[in-house]
Amino acid sequence: MDLNCEEEEDELGFSRNYFLAKELGSSGKKSTHKLSDIDVVDEQELRAAASNIEPKHKNETAVLMDNYRHMYSQWVFALRCGSGLLMYGFGSKKALIEDFASTSLTKYSVVVINGYLQAINLKQVVIAISEILWDQLKAKRKTLSHGLPKSHQPFSSQSMDDLLEFLDEAEAEAEEDCFVCVVIHNIDGPGLRDSETMQYLARLAACTHIRIIASIDHVNAPLLWDKKMVHTQFKWCWYHVPTFAPYKAEGMFYPLILAHGSATQSVKTATIVLQSLTPNAQSVFRVLAEHQLSHPDEEGMPINDLFSVCREHFLVSSQVTLNSHLTEFKDHELVKIRRHSDGQDCLYIPLSAEAIQKLLLEISQ
Amino acid sequence: MALRPFPNVADSSLPASTPEAIENNVQPFFVLHKASSGRKERTSAGQGKLRKRNELSSSSPQSTKKLEGRIAEESGGHWFQQLQVETFDLVWSKIESTIKDVLRDTDASVFNQIQKWVMECFNATRSVGEPSFDEATRSFPILSDNTPSQLFAGLVITRNIEFVDDILTFKELSLFLKSHGCHVAMLSSLDFSVKNGISGCLKALLQEFLDAVVDAADMSILASWYREQGNYDKPLVVIINDLERCCGAILSDFILLLSEWVVKVPIVLIIGVATTVDAPKNIIPLHVLQQLCPCKFMLGSPAERMDAVVEAVLVKHCTRFTIGHKVALFLRNYFLNQDGTLTSFIRALKTACILHFSMEPLSLILGKILTAEQKDGNFSLSAETMLEYVSELPSHVRNQMVDQTGKNLAQDLLELVVIQKLWSTAVLCLCEAGKHSRVRLLDLFVEVLNSDLHLPSGFGSHLGAKNGLVLSSSKDQCQQHGILQRGGIICQIARKVRDLPTVILHQLVKRWEELTADVSEIHEKLEALQSSLRCEDDKSSNKISKENSKRHASRIPLSIGKDSGMINSQAVAFMDCLIRNYIRPIESLPFHEIFCFKNVEKLQLALIGDPRRAIQLDLLESHKILGCSCCKKSGSALLPSMHDSSILHSLSQEHGDLINLHDWFQSFTAIVLHHKTKRKQKAKQSPLPKKRKDTNESRDTSEASIQARFCKAATELQITGLVRMPSKRRPDFVQRIAFGI
Repeated sequence: MDLNCEEEEDELGFSRNYFLAKELGSSGKKSTHKLSDIDVVDEQELRAAASNIEPKHKNETAVLMDNYRHMYSQWVFALRCGSGLLMYGFGSKKALIEDFASTSLTKYSVVVINGYLQAINLKQVVIAISEILWDQLKAKRKTLSHGLPKSHQPFSSQSMDDLLEFLDEAEAEAEEDCFVCVVIHNIDGPGLRDSETMQYLARLAACTHIRIIASIDHVNAPLLWDKKMVHTQFKWCWYHVPTFAPYKAEGMFYPLILAHGSATQSVKTATIVLQSLTPNAQSVFRVLAEHQLSHPDEEGMPINDLFSVCREHFLVSSQVTLNSHLTEFKDHELVKIRRHSDGQDCLYIPLSAEAIQKLLLEISQ
Repeated sequence: MALRPFPNVADSSLPASTPEAIENNVQPFFVLHKASSGRKERTSAGQGKLRKRNELSSSSPQSTKKLEGRIAEESGGHWFQQLQVETFDLVWSKIESTIKDVLRDTDASVFNQIQKWVMECFNATRSVGEPSFDEATRSFPILSDNTPSQLFAGLVITRNIEFVDDILTFKELSLFLKSHGCHVAMLSSLDFSVKNGISGCLKALLQEFLDAVVDAADMSILASWYREQGNYDKPLVVIINDLERCCGAILSDFILLLSEWVVKVPIVLIIGVATTVDAPKNIIPLHVLQQLCPCKFMLGSPAERMDAVVEAVLVKHCTRFTIGHKVALFLRNYFLNQDGTLTSFIRALKTACILHFSMEPLSLILGKILTAEQKDGNFSLSAETMLEYVSELPSHVRNQMVDQTGKNLAQDLLELVVIQKLWSTAVLCLCEAGKHSRVRLLDLFVEVLNSDLHLPSGFGSHLGAKNGLVLSSSKDQCQQHGILQRGGIICQIARKVRDLPTVILHQLVKRWEELTADVSEIHEKLEALQSSLRCEDDKSSNKISKENSKRHASRIPLSIGKDSGMINSQAVAFMDCLIRNYIRPIESLPFHEIFCFKNVEKLQLALIGDPRRAIQLDLLESHKILGCSCCKKSGSALLPSMHDSSILHSLSQEHGDLINLHDWFQSFTAIVLHHKTKRKQKAKQSPLPKKRKDTNESRDTSEASIQARFCKAATELQITGLVRMPSKRRPDFVQRIAFGI
């Protein structure tokens, strides 16, 4: 029962640490230094410098990766036996997994999902996988006597359930070992984290013709899965493979912490957001921006004023539509609300006049 | 496998930095490669596989030669891995089907009860009155005061808070009922979610019964389907496997709906309940509950199922694959402390199996033995067949081992198989005895695998018992048995057996007889016990008749008590003999590695990833993993040569739950620059041009680059979830999330 004792000790230690930290935070005098005390260089320069950081321990990390290569055959074996591979440990595992896939999984098709991106359409992925598997089965069955049914509904018009059913088709004797490998970088990433997507991923993982190779980076990633997912669907085999490689692709969309605190929303990100919105939404934003430029001393534009101007320009027909645009803006921090001195809520863009002008130029192109 | 050197992570030649790769990095998904290039190769490999199989099954010298050639030809491990995979498939599919059978057997009686009850309910609903054709074809339910609207509901108490284990049970129940002529629909709590609503739930129901996607959620579709030829006259069963996770409102609507239609569509509900019979009361309102006519069924507890599985797979050795003591202990603790589900136990076993076949080259023999056994249908293996397998081993073929070695190996293997059989019989006998003291087989299994148990010291008091059974005649002598001095579960069982009443002892000996029936070696040992039992029977019956005639009833229990004490003692002696002679831990036998998986560390790593701990340790002790010389020097002090994220994470440990961004940055700067100034000082002392160049080269000391490094490191900690970004409320503070490892 030594194990038990140790576990309890661990747990005690854990809670002790937590409370100690809490105490330290509240009782000890909190440091009052401000972020603004740091003389932060211009964001452009910061980004440029960030992209030129020289990685440390080049040789050691290369040796580390080399050592992992000796495990590739074990990984393939576990995959062929029906397990899913889950890679964790500090450092980007993108290069490692892709190297593994392109050297050891050449016999199988490999689809890569970049889970670290914000939005992923899982249906599209499943359609692509189904098409690949279809080609694979067709080629396989050509050599055998029985073929696949000639005509079939295009996958793009099938429902998710149908697609999963197709991927989960029972294997014929000659088709064993016929599967598509799905590499999921950051299965704990923002685009895949919600429970519905996870349910679909779990169902995908449970299909007979699918094998999953995934990586996690978040320390609490296992909380995403319930026991059914872990034991019967993903069937993870865990591998601790710290690589200490920089999170280049994974960190692409994170704001730089020193540039984040001040309200300098860069023109570039704002442009990207705006360009993804509908022309009407862009025009609403333009109305607001022009108002702010022409009234630099005012605290902002009252919502009612914005509504009436927009209605005159036939940009919105009702308050509801305007609100939906505004919600979108607020979510992306393009627009903020503050209380006018007369008590009215008004909208403003948290950018300098120069930045707004630049932005208007960008979106009008 | 020839390994090309891994491209340096930071190299510009890395595929990740080619334009195409960068393009791929921002795609939500992309196809890395298709199997097309390898397709030909693969089909040929597939055919090759079949050929290989044939070659292996016939063991003529010719085929061996071919094999040899093939090995030389395919110097890569592909062929070997193919064999490994085949062996694994063979072994695991056997284990899996055994587990399924065992679980089905444990549930069989409950399933039969349920099926009977379903038929009764169906007949009861029917007897109230079948709808006329006219009524039945109308698209609304029959509602009048005299039609019944009670819905029969079977509450299946799973006695298991984890629903994972019951998924399979309910699947089996569904198959069972289908095979007994019922229409079955399986619904899960996901169908009873607020999001789907009652219509989603109805659609799922229709889809299950009609086996087709239905767009309209309408009960009349089901009613008309049920009127069709071939569907009629069969009960309709709806299984909902986890009541507690369902949304109460939707479930209530569903029940009300079904009860309205019950005359046209005689549905019987079966509901899985994890907690108690009261659970429906908490979820469903009273007026809906009144529509239900409940009946209770009990499934076996997880511990019972567990024991059944352990018995079939690990004690009776359905595949000969087995596990060592440490692995067994780990699995037991994992089951008891961590998870408590049979599903996780089975998966752990599967992982052990995968690891075994991937790590132990000789494990391939296991597959061979299994195939042979399946072919012969019994365990009659001869040394010759063993020798054949051995000669087919790649290592054997390659090295042209001397015949004698092969023969010895074959002989040893055969012995191992025989010993295993004796072992499992002995364990089963002990387990049978243990049932009287409520000992779990899993615990017993762990104990008998323990090699400490078999230290000679435990047998100190054992003299003269070597040649089998010693008949001791009194309880004092009974104490002599090593079994009673050992402590642990076995001792507990023995003590219980020593005090068992005669009648139960009789039953026990009967069971032992059955268990040992096909193992003559142990059966012989039991005979002494049987004969004394028989003569005891005669004596006592004689005595009773005599005493009865004398009407001195008071003396009977005394005399019987004394004699039965002797039998008890003999039973204990039998158990002792089992332990001494047959329960040898498998890990002490030669060649056990072929069957036995022992590497508990590997299993633990593969099974329980602990990212929370591991990632923090990676950061705090990065030099251990990287094995670099630069960061090792100073114990806990932070060095600028360490990874930026490591430095930042170590620094964060000094703060409370909130980290002041400014302070954090300043300490980071101090550490990074600290060494630089030192180096500069050194350089001043010995102004070698080379060194000066070295220091001048450090372009990353500029303010911008330090800030950038800080930002990157913070982002990396954010990705790992160790810190949270400053909130609007506290723009100057980062929040720590993980405390302690």
